[in-house]
Amino acid sequence: MTRLTLGALALAVPLAAAAAPETYKLDPHHTYPHFAVEHFGVSMYWGRFDRGSGQFTIDRAAKKGSLELTVETASVSTGDNQRDGRPRTLDEHLKTADFFNVAEFPQMTFKADSVKFDGDAPREVSGTLTLLGVSKPLTLKVERWVCKDNPFNKKPMCGGNASGSLKRTDFGMKYAVPAVSDEVRLYVQFEGYRP
Amino acid sequence: MYEAVVYLQELLRHPVVQSSAAPFLAGLVAAALLYHVRLEGLAALAGFLATVALVGNFALDPLTATRKIVIVGAAAAALGAMTDLAFKPTRFGGPLLGLIFGVASLWVFATVLRQKLPVEAVLLAAGVIAFTAWLAAASVALQHDPARAGANGLMLGLGAGVCAVLGGSALIGQYGLGLGAACGGFIVVLWILGPRLGAGHALTLSTSVLSALLASGAVLLAQLSPVAVAPLALVPLAARLPLSRAPLWMQPVLAAVYTGVPAAAACALAWLSGRGWTW
Repeated sequence: MTRLTLGALALAVPLAAAAAPETYKLDPHHTYPHFAVEHFGVSMYWGRFDRGSGQFTIDRAAKKGSLELTVETASVSTGDNQRDGRPRTLDEHLKTADFFNVAEFPQMTFKADSVKFDGDAPREVSGTLTLLGVSKPLTLKVERWVCKDNPFNKKPMCGGNASGSLKRTDFGMKYAVPAVSDEVRLYVQFEGYRP
Repeated sequence: MYEAVVYLQELLRHPVVQSSAAPFLAGLVAAALLYHVRLEGLAALAGFLATVALVGNFALDPLTATRKIVIVGAAAAALGAMTDLAFKPTRFGGPLLGLIFGVASLWVFATVLRQKLPVEAVLLAAGVIAFTAWLAAASVALQHDPARAGANGLMLGLGAGVCAVLGGSALIGQYGLGLGAACGGFIVVLWILGPRLGAGHALTLSTSVLSALLASGAVLLAQLSPVAVAPLALVPLAARLPLSRAPLWMQPVLAAVYTGVPAAAACALAWLSGRGWTW
């Protein structure tokens, strides 16, 4: 009887561990929010933010989770960073009060505490995006979600890709609408490690 | 009819209309109408607000530095108009108003300055206060001469606007150009009515405070070099150069030529700064 109890306990311990909420710290070198906007209704123009940080928590048993992502707005980058005789590059223009106003709002944040699951994998994350001092709801669809051990350092990691969209005028970013579309599509690549 | 409305809407969305034709007309109409109640100096604010309304970026929440510029500019015009109606001009009026709006500029840019390192923040704050206080005090001294005051506002607005565009912020640039265009409307009414038209504190204070804040905003919120906006401080001095022998209709033109020189120098420095020149 004692052996049976001990055996049951031995089996239950890892199950309980798996059911506990797990926290992952976002890897800043593999986590980048990308954005895309229409330019003159012709092409989709892409950019990304090079610096961000944060963490996410997932509780597969309780089907709960949360996410905190902080992005340095001054790290906005489109690849257009050489003036080539122009008074400014696109990256410089994006940092001004016309767009991200990085001097006044050096960070934007996304805080989510509502996660919808499909089995053990999160499929939708809803929360609040704060940009230019304005907070609005935002939902990201998790299109890819993989958890495994890093093949080199063997640390447990989870990551994937998520996407969503927002209207920049909702946040007071009205410059050049509609030449540069109001709708901004977001594509976030992310990887996080358990500490 | 529907097509005409759509055409008008598209026209009003065009940046050139928003920052030139619309504020020019608003300034002209305001100067002509408000002349009868001795408030024609509010023409500059009327044109400026036309640009703000058409650009459509104004709200009280969140109260960004750019939005605070609009509020302080409106306050400058209101205080100027009250001063014109209620007080006799004194020698100390200009410096006192300069000091008040110099301090107000700290409130405008407080959120930006707080993000800087302490030494840099102190230097920038001192520069913005001194620039705003000087432009306001030196411009208010032109209040009795509508030709000089109009040309001063025209070139301060255009100078700050072009510098801001070259320095990276089209929004601030549009605001500055709108202010300059509004002063253009004031000058046209001056041509029609002659020296009966008064500039007063309302015009001189609003144009100088708004120009100083817009130019400072282009430095702090975009990438404009502080050196580039420095020549704008000479605009009110250039407006004092002799006009007395010129015919009345010619005086605003001559004053605009004088004031255009330091404004053009500021624009040239902003352009060179954008091409990598450093000082």
